[in-house]
Amino acid sequence: MKERKGLIIGSVILLIIFIGMLIKGEPSKSILVWIAALLTLFIYSFLYRDNIFYKFAEHLFVGVSVGYGISVYWQNAFIRKVFDPLFITKTYIVDGQFHLWPLLAIVIPTLMGLLMLSIFTKKQAWLIRIPIAFVVGMSAGISVPSTFQAYIFEHTKNTLYITLSISSFIMIVGVITTLVYFFFSKEHKGLLGKTANIGIWFIMIAFGASFGYTVMARISLLIGRMNFLLYDWLGVIK
Amino acid sequence: MGFWEKVMRLDRRWVFFLIALAVLIPFLKPLRLPISVTKPVKDIFDEVEKVPPEGPPLLIGTDYAPSTAPELDPMLYALLRHCFATKRRVMLVALYPQGAGMAQAGLDNVLPEFPEVKSGMDYVFLGYQPGIGSVILQMGEEIRRVFPTDAYGVSLDSLPMMEYIHNYDDIAFMMDLSGSSVPMLWVMYAGARYEQRIGVGTTAVSAAQYYPFLNTGQFKGMLGGLKGAAEYEKLIKKKGYTEARKVATIGMDAQSIAHLVILFLIIIGNIAFFASKSHRKKTKLTSG
Amino acid sequence: MNVLLALLFLMQQTPNSLPSDTTEVIEVVRPAPPTDVIAMDTPNDVGGSVSVQWEISEDDGKGLNNVILYNVFRGQSEEGPFDYIGTVGAGRTSYDDQTVEKDKVTYYYILKAQTKEAVESEASNVASGKAAPQWFHHGRWNILILGILFALFFAFYIRMAKGKKLFIRKIAGLDAVEEAVGRSTEMGKPVLFCPGIGYLYDIATIAALTILGRVAKKTAEYETRIIMPNYDPVVMSAAQEIVKQSYTEAGRPDNFNEKDIFYLTQDQFGFAAGVDGIMLREKPGAIFLQGVFYAESLILAETGHSVGAIQIAGTDRVTQLPFFISACDYTLIGEEMFAASSYLSRDPVMLGSIKGSDASKVVIISVILIGAILGILGGLNIGPFGTWFQSLVNWFGRG
Repeated sequence: MKERKGLIIGSVILLIIFIGMLIKGEPSKSILVWIAALLTLFIYSFLYRDNIFYKFAEHLFVGVSVGYGISVYWQNAFIRKVFDPLFITKTYIVDGQFHLWPLLAIVIPTLMGLLMLSIFTKKQAWLIRIPIAFVVGMSAGISVPSTFQAYIFEHTKNTLYITLSISSFIMIVGVITTLVYFFFSKEHKGLLGKTANIGIWFIMIAFGASFGYTVMARISLLIGRMNFLLYDWLGVIK
Repeated sequence: MGFWEKVMRLDRRWVFFLIALAVLIPFLKPLRLPISVTKPVKDIFDEVEKVPPEGPPLLIGTDYAPSTAPELDPMLYALLRHCFATKRRVMLVALYPQGAGMAQAGLDNVLPEFPEVKSGMDYVFLGYQPGIGSVILQMGEEIRRVFPTDAYGVSLDSLPMMEYIHNYDDIAFMMDLSGSSVPMLWVMYAGARYEQRIGVGTTAVSAAQYYPFLNTGQFKGMLGGLKGAAEYEKLIKKKGYTEARKVATIGMDAQSIAHLVILFLIIIGNIAFFASKSHRKKTKLTSG
Repeated sequence: MNVLLALLFLMQQTPNSLPSDTTEVIEVVRPAPPTDVIAMDTPNDVGGSVSVQWEISEDDGKGLNNVILYNVFRGQSEEGPFDYIGTVGAGRTSYDDQTVEKDKVTYYYILKAQTKEAVESEASNVASGKAAPQWFHHGRWNILILGILFALFFAFYIRMAKGKKLFIRKIAGLDAVEEAVGRSTEMGKPVLFCPGIGYLYDIATIAALTILGRVAKKTAEYETRIIMPNYDPVVMSAAQEIVKQSYTEAGRPDNFNEKDIFYLTQDQFGFAAGVDGIMLREKPGAIFLQGVFYAESLILAETGHSVGAIQIAGTDRVTQLPFFISACDYTLIGEEMFAASSYLSRDPVMLGSIKGSDASKVVIISVILIGAILGILGGLNIGPFGTWFQSLVNWFGRG
């Protein structure tokens, strides 16, 4: 009862403020901006309670995103990469001569990609292993040397490059104890356990810093929306 | 129920309401808090200043979707304004499908301020190609292999700006704007293999994980989150390159107040936690 | 007087030489050519490329200062003819000719500097070079050595795992799995399993599906409903197979409902919004957030917390772990997720991989410790340790 009363009073106050902003500001004349603003408010209404407006906006979002995704993949992956080169621009015919390898370079990956659909059948589901093996193998092959270079070598080199200072010492202790925490071959008991404990402290401090940075990111998203609502929609700020 | 117990059970909707007020009020009543420029942002600014005017271009990767636009759009606008105002050439590429839309929106937003800037002469928008890693690798050999035309369907060979530009050797500096892990791929492929100088503009979430790469020099500088964008806007305004509305700077007041509110809530939440814990202990001792 | 002055004025203005009827010749100033041009095979490549290097022209940035670019020409013989192949800007001293058609054939190169008025210099000296492929990238021996060493560790431990039982310590969050499903059953609520927004080739997704097998077996035994919304249709199909198998192994194949494991959407925040809606409507007693997550992680974890469910999370995305740790009851941090799935499945390849990566960590920790000791001793200028330290650091640097 108390909540209902508070809700009604709150809604009336918000309505008054909203009308005031409409009068004072320069609301957008574009229907699309209005639709975007209303959908934004529908989603934000979830913060109070799940309601019919949120449900509508959520279902609309999920549906539109699926449709949009299909059209993007159809256009960019299928039409651009398979249909156009095979039937329209015919990239395998150069100076009137037919070249086999460019044709196979389009046909074979397309067929392998189609094998991904075999997962939906019962008997031929094992065929999906072929394209997955290709993708995993290729991406592992390309990325392993680069990952070694970028992640292991560069970072080990930088950790090694110590100066006689407290921060270098802290960094080395942090790196080693964190690596020890992720050592799974022995139980965390005795000296190993104590080292792992120091490691988890370093990990948690790092996560805390990362969390703090992320709070900034989330508030920035809210600020972006506020800017849209107040500047683009209602026009109450300059 | 004691005061701290009540605080522990505070309805989360009051917290949402406080945060909403903390963000809304600075928009309506700007505080104009000062913004100090940090080294990673200054490094990016200096790298762009090193790009020779009317020479090899700055390559900007718009590898983000609308969900991260509030933080990354201001960076894109600021970079474009910096380059167009100082006659530096720009090449835009998108490795996300929505990134092409973000780049076009950025151009649409900034170009009206620079009527003399022309596509094909002062900037080239390559558009989107699927493949991310393979696109980055192929651009290291020959850009035309993966982008035979620009986003508007014009052949790259017919664009005056592209006459001497074939691969990363002909690009002065690369700036990747992304909220995901795409900058890592730029570092791994373009940076490690082709020794392209790379800077990153990213959301605050990802900024924390890129600091090690900043220290190793794999990134020459970083614009981190809305604050990074605001600092960059301050630098270009200081040089007199633009008088446009500074979206990120306007948001920083709201950011600062919201952070103070959150700090306050964290502190009283922790006090409430420990106070109610000791109160429960006392109650147990006296009743037990 | 005025006429005299006018005459004197006119005489002063008269040019020294009379204008002739011949065409005026404007003297063309040619810039100096680049010097010391050499050509050689481009190192560490697959062939088909010759690198040309030179010293800049005397009029590039100095002298007449009119050079804006260098034109590169290539021919099949020392006397020519030479065809234009490319251009580089002033100040540059190298060019990679990647249009070489045949390897191990000698090509001849000359360069000419050019001014803004398109005036070219004389040709430089002729340089010759051949393209050739290399088997190995000489700058990356260090990566090859370490890569082979780590691969040997993996191969050794996988072989061992097939023979005898290998020990992996139990991960703390695994006990919570049974507790969570039990709690859900007591409250009469379903279990929600969210495999994240990864694809089937992401390691974290594979680990998540292994954990799903264990969770599904428990829900089959307790006759609790399991709901699983999916981001990727291929992952959904794999998950349906895994859950069906778990129900069969638990002796309850009839309780398996394929419709509870469904596809939602492939949009990141659309998926988050959809899963949030499911959490609010179904009110699960236990929520598993296992797999690849990005920014939607906190939206999911926070909503799960608000419905009062016990949450067990696990991801290898370092940026999302802070949110899971603060909003969830148990979190499998990074590699703990892979170790947990190895522990559960007892698959020799997965077990051997965990042990192999442990061995690799021992190598890295040892290198860092040795490097630290050498660095400290080198910093104190004791003996040859400084030089050894620098060599160690250089070995890790790019060749």
